[in-house]
Amino acid sequence: MSVEQALVLRGVRYRYAGADRFALDGVDLVVRPGEVVGVTGPSDAGKSTLCLVAAGLAPGTIAGVLEGSVTVDGIETRDQRPHEHAQQAGVLFQNPATQLSGTSRYVWEEVAFGPRNLGLPLGDVVARVEAALAALHIGHFGERDPARLSGGQGQLVALASVLAVGPRYLVLDEPTSQLDPQGTRLVGDALAGIADTGQTGIVLVEHKTDLLAALCSRVLVLGGGRGVREGPAAEVLADAGLHDLGVEPPSAVRLRARLAAAGVSVPEQAFAEAAA
Amino acid sequence: MEWLSQQFGTRVIALMPVAIAVNIVLGYTVANVLKLPIYLDSIGTILVGVLAGPIAGALTGILSSLIWQVAIPGQSIGPFAPVAGVIGLLAGVWGYLGVYRRRPAEGGNLWLPVVIALGAIALLVLPIINNPAYNDPAFTVPWYSAAIIAVAVALGVGVVGMAYLRRDAAPAWVAVAGALTGVIAAICSAPIAAIVYGGVTGAGTDIIVAALRQGGADVFNAALGQGFFSDPIDKTITSFVVFIILAGMSRRLIARFPMGERAVGPEPA
Amino acid sequence: MIRGWTGPVSVFGAVLLTVVITGVGRRLVSFVVASLPLVISILLINTFIYPDATDALATVGPFTVTGTGLTVALQAALRVIAFALAIGVFVATTDLDDLLSDLERRGLGRRAEFVIGSAIRMVPRMVERAGEIVEAQRARGLDTEGRPWRRARGLVPLAGPMIGGALNDVEERTMALEARAFSAPARRTPIRRFPDSAAQRAARWGLGLLIVALTVATVGGWLNVP
Repeated sequence: MSVEQALVLRGVRYRYAGADRFALDGVDLVVRPGEVVGVTGPSDAGKSTLCLVAAGLAPGTIAGVLEGSVTVDGIETRDQRPHEHAQQAGVLFQNPATQLSGTSRYVWEEVAFGPRNLGLPLGDVVARVEAALAALHIGHFGERDPARLSGGQGQLVALASVLAVGPRYLVLDEPTSQLDPQGTRLVGDALAGIADTGQTGIVLVEHKTDLLAALCSRVLVLGGGRGVREGPAAEVLADAGLHDLGVEPPSAVRLRARLAAAGVSVPEQAFAEAAA
Repeated sequence: MEWLSQQFGTRVIALMPVAIAVNIVLGYTVANVLKLPIYLDSIGTILVGVLAGPIAGALTGILSSLIWQVAIPGQSIGPFAPVAGVIGLLAGVWGYLGVYRRRPAEGGNLWLPVVIALGAIALLVLPIINNPAYNDPAFTVPWYSAAIIAVAVALGVGVVGMAYLRRDAAPAWVAVAGALTGVIAAICSAPIAAIVYGGVTGAGTDIIVAALRQGGADVFNAALGQGFFSDPIDKTITSFVVFIILAGMSRRLIARFPMGERAVGPEPA
Repeated sequence: MIRGWTGPVSVFGAVLLTVVITGVGRRLVSFVVASLPLVISILLINTFIYPDATDALATVGPFTVTGTGLTVALQAALRVIAFALAIGVFVATTDLDDLLSDLERRGLGRRAEFVIGSAIRMVPRMVERAGEIVEAQRARGLDTEGRPWRRARGLVPLAGPMIGGALNDVEERTMALEARAFSAPARRTPIRRFPDSAAQRAARWGLGLLIVALTVATVGGWLNVP
C-alpha cells in the first residue's frame, strides 16, 4: 500500500488537560508538499490548538486528550518523540524574541541550534544552515547578532532555524501578528519562496486574510473548534458570509463589495490578479 | 532516577534561565536602585523549587548566585551560593507538602490554622528577638526594637488580612514556611559571612552586626543575629510573592510542570 | 582567633601578579570600586568593634581600636579585594560563550549549557529594562531616595510586569525548543574548537593538583601556614 505523502488530520478532537470542553471538535485537513493551506477564524475558534496538534506538540508537550488521527507521510504523531516530529513538521509562533534560543552570538549559530541538537556531523550542520539561510535570502545575516534584528528579520531567522531541522511541513501560527507592514511583507515573500520550491507543505494560520489571499491555494475557516468552510482560497475568501463567521474579508473583497454597493461593477478577473 | 530526570524536562529548562534572571535583576534592583533593607533575590528559586522539585530549585539558586557574581561587579553573593541552594531545596519540600495549595475555609476552620500558624511564628521569632545583645544599653540602635515589632505586626496583619479577604487558610502556612526557610537560611549563611567576610556584608544590615557585637556577641553570633533579623522577613515576603504569582497563573499552565499539580492541588470541582 | 598573614598576602600577591601579567588592570577598576562599600564596612566594624579583643591601641569616643580587630580587618579586606580582582580577571579575559562552547565539547550537557548561556544573556537586557521601569516610575513621582516604605511602593510596578512577562514566555520558549529538536538524545555537534597548547594543559593540571596538595597538606597538619 502506498502511503500518502501529506500532513493529514482526520476527525481530530483535542481537549487540554484540566479543560472541560474540546478546543478542537472534529477537524479534517490535508496538506501536501508544495501546497499552502490557510486556516482562519475568530479568536477562540481553535486556530492555535490546531497548530499545536499539527506540529505534534499536543498532546506530547502540551498535556491533553487527542482523538482522531494526525499523520505525517503516514506516521502517527502520537507514536513519535518531540525531536523526531520536529524533523517532519516544524512550527513557527508569533513572537520572534521567545523563539530564538537566546544563547547565540551570531545568526549563523542560532540557525545551527537545531541541527546541532540532532548531533549531525559538522559538514551536514553547515550545509543545512547555509541552505536554510539561502532559502529565505538572508545569507548576509549570518554574522549579525540575533538580539539586534527587527521583528520581521527576527521572524525570518526563527523560520530559518526551524527549516534547518529539516521538516517537510511547516505549521505557522500567526507568524506576522507582531510585525509591522514591512515585516509582514518580508515574511510573506519568504513563505511564497518556500512554497514555490514545491518541496514543503505549509499550514498558515492567520487572521490577516490579505496574506491568505496572497499565498494560499486553499482555505479552511474554523469556528467553535470545527471547520465551517473549506475550499479554494479565492472562493472561500470571497464568501459573502465570511464576516458573519467572525472573519474580516480581504481588502480586495471588501473594496469590491463597497464598489458594488455604490453601483460600480468590476470584472472578477481584476481581483484575481490583484490577489495573486 | 525518573524523579530526578523529570525535574529537568524541556519546560523546566526553559523556566530556569528566566527564574535566574528574575532573581538577579530583582535582587539587584531592590538592593542597589531602591535600596531597600530586604533581598528579594530568591523569588525565581522558590518558584522553580515549587513547580519543578527540590533539585531543580537548588540548582536554580546556586546558578543564580554564581552568575550574579560574574555578571554584576562587586557583589558579595557568590560565596553564599550554598545558601541559595538550600532555599531552593526547601522550596521543593514545601511544594511537595502542599504548602502553596489553596485551602478555602470559613469560621473556625479558617481561624484555627491562622492562630496556630501565628503561634508557630511567634515561637520561632521570640527567642531571636530576646537576644540579650539587642538590649545592651551601651549600643542600641534606637529604631531597632521598634522596627522588629513593626515588621512582626505587619506580617501578622498581612497573614490575617489575606486569610480573611481570600477566605483561605493557605497564607498562614505560606508564612510559616517562609519564616522557617529564613531561619534555616540564616543558620547556613552565618558561618560563610563570618569566615569569608569577617561577619559583615557591605549592606545596610551591617549596622545590626555592629550593634550585636557591641552588645557582646562574637563574630559568628553577630552574623547569625543579623541573619535572624533579615532572613525570616525576607523569605516570608518572598513566599507571599510566590503564592500570589501561583494564584495568578493559569492552573492549566501550572499542571504542565512536574510538581505543579502537587504544589497547587488538583483542579477544584 | 587571629589567623596569620601568609594566606591573605600570598593569595593577594598571586592575584595581583595575574593582573599584571594579563594586563587587564584598567578594566578591573570597576570591580574594585564596586567592592569598596564592603571593604569599608569590614575595616570599620572589625577595627572598632571586635568581640573579646583586649589589645587596645587607641580609643575614639565609645569605641576602641584593637590590634586584633585591625589585623582581622586588614586580612579580610585583602581577601575580599583579591576575590573581586580574581572575578574581574576571569570576566576580563574569558569570553563566557567560548567557555561554554568549550565545556560543551568536553561533555557539559546541552541543558546546563542552555540554562547558563541563556541566563547570562538575559540578565543585562532585564537589568536595562528594570532601570527603564524605575526611571519611568521616578518620572511619575516615585521617590527612590525617601523613606523605605515609599521606595517599597516602587516594587509592585517593577516586579509585576517583569515576572509576569517572563513567565508568559516560558510556554512558547518550551515549544520553540522542542521544535528545534532540543530533546534529541544525541550529543550536540560541537562547532568551535579552541587552541589548547600542551603548556596550557600542563598549567591547568598543575594548578589543580597544587590546590589539592595544599588543601590536603594544611588540613592534614603537614604544612603549617603561619
